Amino acid sequence: MEVRVEGGDEFANASYSKICQNVFRDIGLHSNVDNVYMYCNPAEHVFIISVKVGRVPSPVTVNDMTIRGDKRLKVTNERYVPRLLALLWDKFGERVKQLSRLEISVDLSPEEMQELMKMVVYDPREDLNTRILDAVDRILPEGARVRYPIPAQSQGRLTIIASENPITDEWKRKAEEMVSAQKLSEGGV
Amino acid sequence: MYKIMMFSGGVYKFNELKELVQDIGGFILQEMVMQTETMLHLAFPAEEEPVIKGKVKEVGGKLVDLPLAGAEIMLVAPSLGRHHAVDPMCDIAEFLRRKGAITNMMGLARGVGKRIAQIKVEEKKIIEECDAAVFIFGNFKECIEEKAKLCEGLEVPYIIVGGPPEMDIPHYVGGIGRRTERMKRKHEIEKLEQMAEGLRVELDARRREIEEDPLATSPLFIKELIDMTIPPKLGEEFSTIIHLDGLRVKLEPGEEDKVRQIEIGKRKLSDICEMKKSLYEGYLLKILPEAVTGSVF
Repeated sequence: MEVRVEGGDEFANASYSKICQNVFRDIGLHSNVDNVYMYCNPAEHVFIISVKVGRVPSPVTVNDMTIRGDKRLKVTNERYVPRLLALLWDKFGERVKQLSRLEISVDLSPEEMQELMKMVVYDPREDLNTRILDAVDRILPEGARVRYPIPAQSQGRLTIIASENPITDEWKRKAEEMVSAQKLSEGGV
Repeated sequence: MYKIMMFSGGVYKFNELKELVQDIGGFILQEMVMQTETMLHLAFPAEEEPVIKGKVKEVGGKLVDLPLAGAEIMLVAPSLGRHHAVDPMCDIAEFLRRKGAITNMMGLARGVGKRIAQIKVEEKKIIEECDAAVFIFGNFKECIEEKAKLCEGLEVPYIIVGGPPEMDIPHYVGGIGRRTERMKRKHEIEKLEQMAEGLRVELDARRREIEEDPLATSPLFIKELIDMTIPPKLGEEFSTIIHLDGLRVKLEPGEEDKVRQIEIGKRKLSDICEMKKSLYEGYLLKILPEAVTGSVF
């Protein structure tokens, strides 16, 4: 993930660059974001942040996170277990039992079992936008509560202007210019 | 004048040290025994330091100076949101506690932003209940300059911490701005040391002021008497907090009169202290100067 912060003094740019890196890492989007551009103008209290979303992992299926046994599933990735159990109980009810931390018994026919292995447990695209907005919210200064999203000029780019004052048309125009310049520097993505 | 130090060591002859402190007219402020490890905050007359050092050498422990002990410090952040907590708020609080201070944290109701940042009169009063304050004001020079105006007119010593290394505002320590990771590297610890040193200088000036117009009696002595009258409840920590010129006492309803009637020498506590309910927690006792109350003993 590439981060570029401009507009503030040297110290502020360096520290916000680090904050961007850490926040995206904490939220788990570090590898899903191609680049982040941030412009800070503390004198007028205007902040512009633009996030370019990169590759998003493919959906996780039951097959990806468990090993199929005889009427049993052995969990290999514990991270998605709560979602898996919720899905199984919702679909099959009492025929599914959690035997231990990593073992689930499923009283299903072979056809049902086959269908089950293809089921999607978690699709990272589902909450991608929410997670990116959460990251943006954590990065932008707390006082900058007036937000204005710039309409996406290219796919997978999210740009937000934030300030404590009403956002003027001039800033909206400037933000669009900055994002276009950013787009060109990426090679017209 | 009392000196406050921290003893840490084993349990060997540890009771003898406690007895010695009490014999020379000192106090045990905090005691923590963790299996074979002990930690004590000791307050004793400054001239008795060699005696205590000799005993500590005998029992085999470490004695560390606590420059901020006996002071309650308020940490003020623009809000209690995750932009300021856990880092750097808790790093600063932990560091100040290591230096002996009792710390409180506070988020302002409308402290965020630059133009819109405000402090309420009630918030100022709560800050003034403590001995000193540390304000945490972000990474942008322009915002810190604006927010520094909020602290003007405070009656207690204060320090402003922020990101930019150098700034032309009074009581400023740089290098401790908004961050998302723990302050554990050497240069970061040095910045925290610098901040603690700034506070120590401010508090020492206040201590000297008090010494010139001495209090009727020491807050340490009053704490001892209050703890004897109203023993701390089980599991309760810091029911009585020492200030430079008074105390904060956490009381159950109906216990206020018991405290007022405590006898100190020839006088009652209510004669030598102003007692009022704190806006933050418990009751505040402000000890009057000896020049006002006359001799207590």
